[in-house]
Amino acid sequence: MIGNDIVDFNTAALQSNWQRRGFLEKLFSENEQSLILNSEIPERKLWTLWAMKEATYKAHQRRFKLPRSFNPKQFNCKIISGDNTSVFGKIQIRDCSYYTQTFIEEDYLHCIASQFQQKDTVQKVLSQSTDIRQELILAVSELKKIPQAKISIEKDCNFIPYLVCDDDKINCDFSLSHHGIFCAFVLSLTPY
Amino acid sequence: MSDKELLEKLKNIVTPYVQNKEGLENFDENTDFLNDLKINSANLVDVVLDVEDEFNIEIDNDSMDDMLNVLDAKKIIQLKLSEK
Repeated sequence: MIGNDIVDFNTAALQSNWQRRGFLEKLFSENEQSLILNSEIPERKLWTLWAMKEATYKAHQRRFKLPRSFNPKQFNCKIISGDNTSVFGKIQIRDCSYYTQTFIEEDYLHCIASQFQQKDTVQKVLSQSTDIRQELILAVSELKKIPQAKISIEKDCNFIPYLVCDDDKINCDFSLSHHGIFCAFVLSLTPY
Repeated sequence: MSDKELLEKLKNIVTPYVQNKEGLENFDENTDFLNDLKINSANLVDVVLDVEDEFNIEIDNDSMDDMLNVLDAKKIIQLKLSEK
């Protein structure tokens, strides 16, 4: 299963005061906190680790059909390699491992998580004014050779979205995300 | 503290983080922080920290796990207040 998360840096700076007392402690392990605080640009590192946790949470929740929860500290992040524009990470939650690839641009970052190290995906980052759901439907329509008009997005009892064609569930692994002026999706090119 | 007072305090706490202000009009136990109020997930931690300050309680990680709607938040606050 896959998950994704997008962070708009300007919106994040307006919405969150990460320096408030308790903020880092509630979300990050001691190791992660020191990665953030010893980083050249602490905010970038913070949102990189946050997006790794969020994207992995989505993949993990879909994989085990879990009810929603807010437990970022249970997702332990390790940065395997990376530079200022791309970060490859591994996340551990209980006995499950996930891999993340984060693309860092000037105004935003986009993180994709998967339980597999290699996964064929297509992803798009667009401005919030675009209908991201329609963009996803278009991509699925091309991938599955199904007319766009037949495809719709529904949500299950755990608020996990899934795709439907003529009342049948489409066997398709995807994740949507939006924040600030950006929205994004990731779509797996192989069925789950 | 009455339920009404608690809900009023909780409503004041979440208000700055609410992105769907219409969701506040019918604020009650069934209100969901994510679906109804569209609170950004990164701001859930601010709600937890503000609750800790306002009620002078500590929300441990397991309790934080469930703080996604008004009813669960109310239950956690009442439990932590009773343990004081």
